[in-house]
Amino acid sequence: MASIHAPSAEDVMQRLRPFGLFFEKSLKDLIKGIRSAGENPEDLRQVMNKALSECREEVSSPDLNLKTNAVLKLTYLEMYGYDMSWANFHILEVMSSSKLQHKRVGYLAASQSFYKDPDILMLATNLLKKDLKYDGNNDVLKMAVTLSGLSTMVTTSLASDICDDLLTMLGSSKPYIRKKAVAALFKVFLQYPEALRDNFDKFVAKLEDEDLSVVSATVSVICEVSKKNPYPFIALSPLLYEMLFTIDNNWIIIRLLKLFTNLSQVEPKLRAKILPKVLELMKVTSATSVIYESINCIVKGKMLQEDDHDSAFICLQELNKFCSSPDPNLRYISVVLFYQIGKINTDFITEFNVLVIRLLKDVDISIRSRALELLEGATDDENITTVVHILIKQFIDKDVVSATNLFRQAGSDGVEIDIPLSYKVKMVSTILRICSINNYSNIPDFDWYIAVLSDLCVISQDLNNDTIGYQLGDELRNVMVKVPSMRKKLISNIVSLVLSQDVSQSMPMVLRECYWCIGEYSNLIDDGDDLIKKSIKLDRLPPDVLQIMAQALLKVFSSWCNMTNPAPVQEIKSVLQGLLRFYESLSSSQSFEVQERSVEFLEFCKLCDESLEQGDEELPLLITDILPSFFNSYSLNPILHGTQRKLQDSLMLDLDTPFLSEEDVEKLLQEESSKNDLDSLLASDLELDLESDNEPGPNDDRKGSSVGDVEEEITFEARKSLEEKRRKERSDNPFYLEADDSALQKKASQLIEFDGEEKPSDLRNVDTFELSTAVVKRGDLKKKKQSKKKKAQVLLEEGLPDLISSHALASNHPRTGSFSSSKDSSTINLKMQTKLESFDFHTPQISPDATKNIGIEEQQELENLRAKFAAKSSGNDQNADDEVVIVKKKKSKSKSKSKKKGSKKHASEPQLPLP
Amino acid sequence: MVQIKYMLMVSRQGKVRLMRWFSAYSAKDKTKICRDLTTSVLARKAKMCNIVEYQDHKVVYKRYASLYFICGISSETSNELLTLEIIHRYVEAMDAYFNNVCELDIIFNFSKAYDILNEVLICDGSMTETSKHTILKTVASMDALETSDNLDQVLS
Repeated sequence: MASIHAPSAEDVMQRLRPFGLFFEKSLKDLIKGIRSAGENPEDLRQVMNKALSECREEVSSPDLNLKTNAVLKLTYLEMYGYDMSWANFHILEVMSSSKLQHKRVGYLAASQSFYKDPDILMLATNLLKKDLKYDGNNDVLKMAVTLSGLSTMVTTSLASDICDDLLTMLGSSKPYIRKKAVAALFKVFLQYPEALRDNFDKFVAKLEDEDLSVVSATVSVICEVSKKNPYPFIALSPLLYEMLFTIDNNWIIIRLLKLFTNLSQVEPKLRAKILPKVLELMKVTSATSVIYESINCIVKGKMLQEDDHDSAFICLQELNKFCSSPDPNLRYISVVLFYQIGKINTDFITEFNVLVIRLLKDVDISIRSRALELLEGATDDENITTVVHILIKQFIDKDVVSATNLFRQAGSDGVEIDIPLSYKVKMVSTILRICSINNYSNIPDFDWYIAVLSDLCVISQDLNNDTIGYQLGDELRNVMVKVPSMRKKLISNIVSLVLSQDVSQSMPMVLRECYWCIGEYSNLIDDGDDLIKKSIKLDRLPPDVLQIMAQALLKVFSSWCNMTNPAPVQEIKSVLQGLLRFYESLSSSQSFEVQERSVEFLEFCKLCDESLEQGDEELPLLITDILPSFFNSYSLNPILHGTQRKLQDSLMLDLDTPFLSEEDVEKLLQEESSKNDLDSLLASDLELDLESDNEPGPNDDRKGSSVGDVEEEITFEARKSLEEKRRKERSDNPFYLEADDSALQKKASQLIEFDGEEKPSDLRNVDTFELSTAVVKRGDLKKKKQSKKKKAQVLLEEGLPDLISSHALASNHPRTGSFSSSKDSSTINLKMQTKLESFDFHTPQISPDATKNIGIEEQQELENLRAKFAAKSSGNDQNADDEVVIVKKKKSKSKSKSKKKGSKKHASEPQLPLP
Repeated sequence: MVQIKYMLMVSRQGKVRLMRWFSAYSAKDKTKICRDLTTSVLARKAKMCNIVEYQDHKVVYKRYASLYFICGISSETSNELLTLEIIHRYVEAMDAYFNNVCELDIIFNFSKAYDILNEVLICDGSMTETSKHTILKTVASMDALETSDNLDQVLS
């Protein structure tokens, strides 16, 4: 029966294929293979690799069915993370097939795989142009497939080319086509805004289409476009407002609300008109999503004025209801909105503190974390203890949420949830913020607050977060400085904190400020010897702590030696020995600052040690007078953040005029030698105590000047000349101001000029590395007021008059920084870059000359591409030749022109004829 | 309006069953998003809310049987509740098409799942068709066209 017409084996295979009889591995086989490989990663990899290599072969076969099948398999494999961009040219071939079956697969693969590959996109553009040629009786479905695939492929040149076709489709008799065309136009507008400008009316007319789904698509496109550039649509507001009344489809209403949100952000006149309508809508509707969107619209559309308590109350009532709902999604979104409303005016949310406290115990951490942000507005001196108590109790790894908070019947068990680290960090920061808000006006009892701070220091150890450590340290220091009545109590807390092994090991960041406090208020410490002995045993401290600690310990030593009942000399000696060893060990530190300070202190301690050797009964003057005079001349007052820097900026130092003329110096020296001042006292002291070849003390040599002449041998005769030399040195040093010499002081302050007209009365020379180096009091110093009688006095921060305003500005944004989730380089940004944002719709443009050159270049480029493509798919070149279309690119020239005019336009926005 | 930036369908074991990107992402970003979201979403408990913050945007997810539907939406402009509704509509449409859909249906007919998704969401990621009936009609007519294509081929 052999006939010449008998089909060959290949033909048979070909014909059977549509019935699902494949002789190649089908997608089904592939999926089955993957599934049977199961969880074993080795097997799975083998199956995948085999499949991939098969696909590689099949995809370059000339048979389009086979190719399609391979592309489909690749699309599947892509979900497992296998790159398929190498097959992009083959995908293009499949897309260009005339059969829907192939086209569908092709477009699917294209939408998954094409990514900003300019070569591919250029070829795809031509293909799409062909597919979208609209002549009135196209195949509806083919069109649909193409339009759906458009999303990842629209380029500017494609957009300008297909927009005419799409606009024709708007007039199609089939709603399906109209709808798809409207949606596709969105992508076109993004890339090619001119299309919207030139066809604005035609497009907007679709708002009144008889088919609701077309209207819906149009509203949603307008809404999306208005997000980028709302101005052209403001004129539509009356029509849209009308629609808000007439349409009862919730989907469209929500879209309209979104649209109004965008519009009223830029058009203040709209806000007053829309607000009553939105409020009314909220009352009427039963759909939660519409209520939510209404509130969203009010808040984000800036319709809520700062003093509009009524509208705010209505919104918050609704949100309050949502927050009590068993649906966690509702709770979450309403907490977010609560925060938005609170940002407008914190007074709005104060009465909802019960709710906020309940949300802090929510089962969902993300809701809790949002509720934390609300706390700032919702806490007062009444509830702050409760709130902080709740938060501190959550410092555990697993929290059990009670049944009532789960919206279940009482009696059933609670649920255990994990508390993530990031939430704990946020909690600590929040506690610190709500407590310190308004200069501690919320704190009912500072005893309690100090206990909280100590607790926080202990529990924050495990958080392993440096920022928290620094924040806690700052807070301790602030309380220390600002609340004088609590210093005694706080310092003992700090001392025990510093000496705790755990804290020093895991949270050294907090130690820095602690040691600063210890040093500054060392006179409040009774057992300084104990503190010193224990502190010097702490090891592995970071250098920035050591540099503060080195100094603090000397201050502690100074205060301890000069207590009212001084310790026996023997004890002082032993403590001093300890200090000597400590500074000795630090003097080879790698950190420059630590090394410098410890060397200085070491030398001074050596001197003290020697002077102690002399007299057995009485303490030498070096310890009783000179050492305290280093530190205790002035008390520190809190100053505004940044004051010091401002001061330094505005400080003009006259470095040229000498402090004293030659005669002045002469006169002064004579006076000085006759006067019984500190220097001569010391000199006589030294004369008496030390043998003549001993080194004299470094007099009143301050740390700041660090003159390296301590070890120099000076005879008594040389002393005078040396003193003069030093004085000269000092006068050259701008940071050296003789604090206890009134004559010099006066001169010095005259040399300092300020940019502003504020009059500094007092400039102090404190150690440069400490918080408040220079404190400038205003002439009329603010009265330190007590906010409430029962509360401890909290000192106000002092600052330069012109600084206060700028500081207040800065503190208006307390959230910037610490909380904004750390954005690393790998952050994925969803924002699309489009040309729409800066586009002006009012200027008709076109400068046709500019097109030509670019057109030629483009064509050349296209030719090159073709050659490349032809080389790649040598077997199959069916679509290489028949689509030579010159790609016109929009010129940037016309756009920059329109941008310029854009700024003018917004100034004169037409009055809106709203009903 | 809801603008969905991407939609993932992930099994309880963390296997990706479907992913659709409504704007262009690099392959690296895609894998990162998939990996991050799979871990964070799968870890969440049933009683927790269906909205997660991820990088600069929000992610709304919903679990149906063994599948998680995960949508990335822009945080300022999207309505989270509507996104959940869209996911639900999509699942309903698939349920009607496959007649009681299960994970296996979607695994073996993943291209159909994409087709249905294309009918529910248009290329910019917003909802175009809310009617289940219309969606099914369109998909069915596409299937019919395919079959006739095949038939043509056989008869040729």
